[in-house]
Amino acid sequence: MKKLLLAAAASLALGTGAAFAADFTPPGGTIAYLVTDFFWTTYESPDGKEECPQGFNPWGPREQFKALFPDDGTKRTELETHLAREIAGWFPDTKPDTFPFYEVAGTKSYGMNLDGKIGPNDFTSPDGEKGIDNELYRVIGCVLNLRPPEGPTAYFANRAVMEERWNRVMFELTKVDSLTNDDDIDVTIYRGRDHILMDNTGNNFVPGGSQRLDTKWGKKFTQHMHGRIINGTLITDPIAKAVIPWSSFTLPTVQKFKDMRLKLKLDPQRATGLIAGYVDVENWYMQTVKSESTHHQSYGQSSPPSIYKVLRRRADAYPDENGVNTAISAALETKMVQVYIIHEPGGPVAALSAPMKHAAVTDEAPITIADAK
Amino acid sequence: MRLQIAILSLVAFAGGAYAAAPMEDYKKVPMPPGFHVEATELDGPVFADAKGHTLYQWPFKALRNGITGDPKGKSLCEDVVSQTNAGYMSPYPGGLIIPDVETRPSCTQAWPPVLAAADAKPVGAWTIIARKDGTKQWAYDEHPLYTSHLDSAPGDVIGATSHSGRGGEHAAVRKPVGPPNNLPPGFEVVSSNNGRLLVTAQGNASVYVSDKDTATKSMCDVTCTIIWKPVIAPEFAQPTGEWTILERSPGVKQWAFRKKPLYTNITDNREQSLEGSDEPGWHNVFLTEAPPPPKEFTTSDTTAGTVLADKNGKTIYLYICGDDAVDQLACDHPGSTQAFRFALAGGGDPVRANQRFPMVPAPKDAKPTSRSWTPIDIDPMTGKRGKAGDPGVLHVWAYRDRPVYTFAKDEPGDYEAEGLGEFKGTRQGYRAFWLRDDFYGRMN
Repeated sequence: MKKLLLAAAASLALGTGAAFAADFTPPGGTIAYLVTDFFWTTYESPDGKEECPQGFNPWGPREQFKALFPDDGTKRTELETHLAREIAGWFPDTKPDTFPFYEVAGTKSYGMNLDGKIGPNDFTSPDGEKGIDNELYRVIGCVLNLRPPEGPTAYFANRAVMEERWNRVMFELTKVDSLTNDDDIDVTIYRGRDHILMDNTGNNFVPGGSQRLDTKWGKKFTQHMHGRIINGTLITDPIAKAVIPWSSFTLPTVQKFKDMRLKLKLDPQRATGLIAGYVDVENWYMQTVKSESTHHQSYGQSSPPSIYKVLRRRADAYPDENGVNTAISAALETKMVQVYIIHEPGGPVAALSAPMKHAAVTDEAPITIADAK
Repeated sequence: MRLQIAILSLVAFAGGAYAAAPMEDYKKVPMPPGFHVEATELDGPVFADAKGHTLYQWPFKALRNGITGDPKGKSLCEDVVSQTNAGYMSPYPGGLIIPDVETRPSCTQAWPPVLAAADAKPVGAWTIIARKDGTKQWAYDEHPLYTSHLDSAPGDVIGATSHSGRGGEHAAVRKPVGPPNNLPPGFEVVSSNNGRLLVTAQGNASVYVSDKDTATKSMCDVTCTIIWKPVIAPEFAQPTGEWTILERSPGVKQWAFRKKPLYTNITDNREQSLEGSDEPGWHNVFLTEAPPPPKEFTTSDTTAGTVLADKNGKTIYLYICGDDAVDQLACDHPGSTQAFRFALAGGGDPVRANQRFPMVPAPKDAKPTSRSWTPIDIDPMTGKRGKAGDPGVLHVWAYRDRPVYTFAKDEPGDYEAEGLGEFKGTRQGYRAFWLRDDFYGRMN
């Protein structure tokens, strides 16, 4: 098995023809992918006018502060200004906003049809699929801070995938007879412990790396799904609840999904597609507020108290006992690279990720696990 | 189990005693008369004045919109009560009146300068600077020295620790200053919630010891060294203090500390990792372990690591606060304004704040278990120290003289309030008391 993995890794790393064959049966019927990118999907026309005809939201924390507390010589206290605005973010409400907020007004969106219906508020995907449920896009799509990939919040959350391991999310597919068509696939979500394998520029993710499993702290993140591969696309059944580790600026948080499902275009080296479902509104909001200080929210006119009001208004699922929706339809756009998961401590290693700088009191080059195998 | 020396001496107080902080081996540096070195529980050896009070510096720090702290050779800490914020921290402008400004101390009230006599002479790295008011002040490495108005006993680091303000966009905090530890080149000691961790100077990689080894013999063979990399000593290295050298094989020398050979773990992929100690028989090295919390505290495993927990397993939080005045005074102590904490925890309402973030009650007869862990009495409506027995006054546990909290919405293993506040709670907010933070932060 070890030789098999090493051979497969070499084959993938060299980009040989075998790795790009039209059909592919992974060794042992198992192939795993590691998330390298994820961000809330947004359909963005070249100038933004299609989805945001009024333009992007101009009222961020700085702009709102200036409007509320103009620089007119009035002596003000931190309590009535700075702390009042922070309180508005920490204790948001659904009262009408005193500032305008521009929601997405277009009809196109990426995402998935989560409820199986085609409703009047649903979007149509750019390739023509109707019934797309993605109300989170309606909320964030005209907020520059949240529009990937350049929006700072989206950028830093995505960068955290590379720099941290809290959010080292992996999807392992088992019982795979064919990466083109297979109607019975088990999918397990795991968290890994290691760096993502990069090329020598440090900018590009490389398939064929190895990841040790986090079985100590990450049990909560081990989750099971079932699905099928149709014409090279994995589609899973929704699972009732799912939790995905998420980070921005090193703060460990999570995204909580209901009815989460995957739609991933697969090849032996990479997977790209969507993780969609209904996202817990309170958790989404607090995750954002905790991770991104008001300073960072100000980068792209993202005002937490304003966003909260729209988030609650646009929440479209899982009503509480008062009939208030607690979740909002959403989709994460994701990219993944193929990875070998080391299930057992000391198990076979295909390629070790970047080692730690171990040159403690010697110039000796660090020994790697791979060197010794 | 961790490698450390036995703690022998006790500190007595009315009604009890606790172990005194051991003195770590340090390099003897020349000091002016009247100064000496004190052992601390959290920061190793520190310089102290004649009363035993810890000496601090106020390092220069670049904030979002400006720079503050002492430059070399000059004190910016003056006997002036700052009335307004400076606007160093984005996005709020300066010129806003600080909460409870009428009770706010001046910088020198909070951090009294360590004054030098008119005829004092520089000694070694100790120099003398002229203050604005004409007095003279001691400096070390050219940075002015202060004591803290919060410290009362020798070895106190209630004012600040070197761990204070670690990571994030904290205020320009003060740091205790002391002589360097007696370490060979290539090693450092970092203060952590678990104690004084020995790491490599390059990369801050944890070093480990094995139960199987002796002072003169490493049992880590070729297979073992794939993962456990011996910390190689240079050919010319000499033993010093608790540090010795063994010869692994002809011409290959390895550092040993307290009679145990040292290693790094090749699979550690973050600084100051504790993961190697998960391997049976292997241990991190602490020069001094942190004082244990009172016995009713527990620990709780979370998805990011292990936290200190209350008796019900709920995560313990520390409240962190630095104001944004030019002198950057802390606002995390019961003696300082509580306006920031009440705003964050309760939207300005103390009742709501206490419901959301209750303080951890201490038994009626609780005694200090160390200088760091003490029971105190707090009036929850003001957040200030109260009189024991007065109506409403709570008897609670304090860490470094500041109450510790749980978060009402947490279940055991949760840490929902982690990072709640400004700049992820590093400027003002709640941070969990992490004992293991394996999945927190950037990798190396």
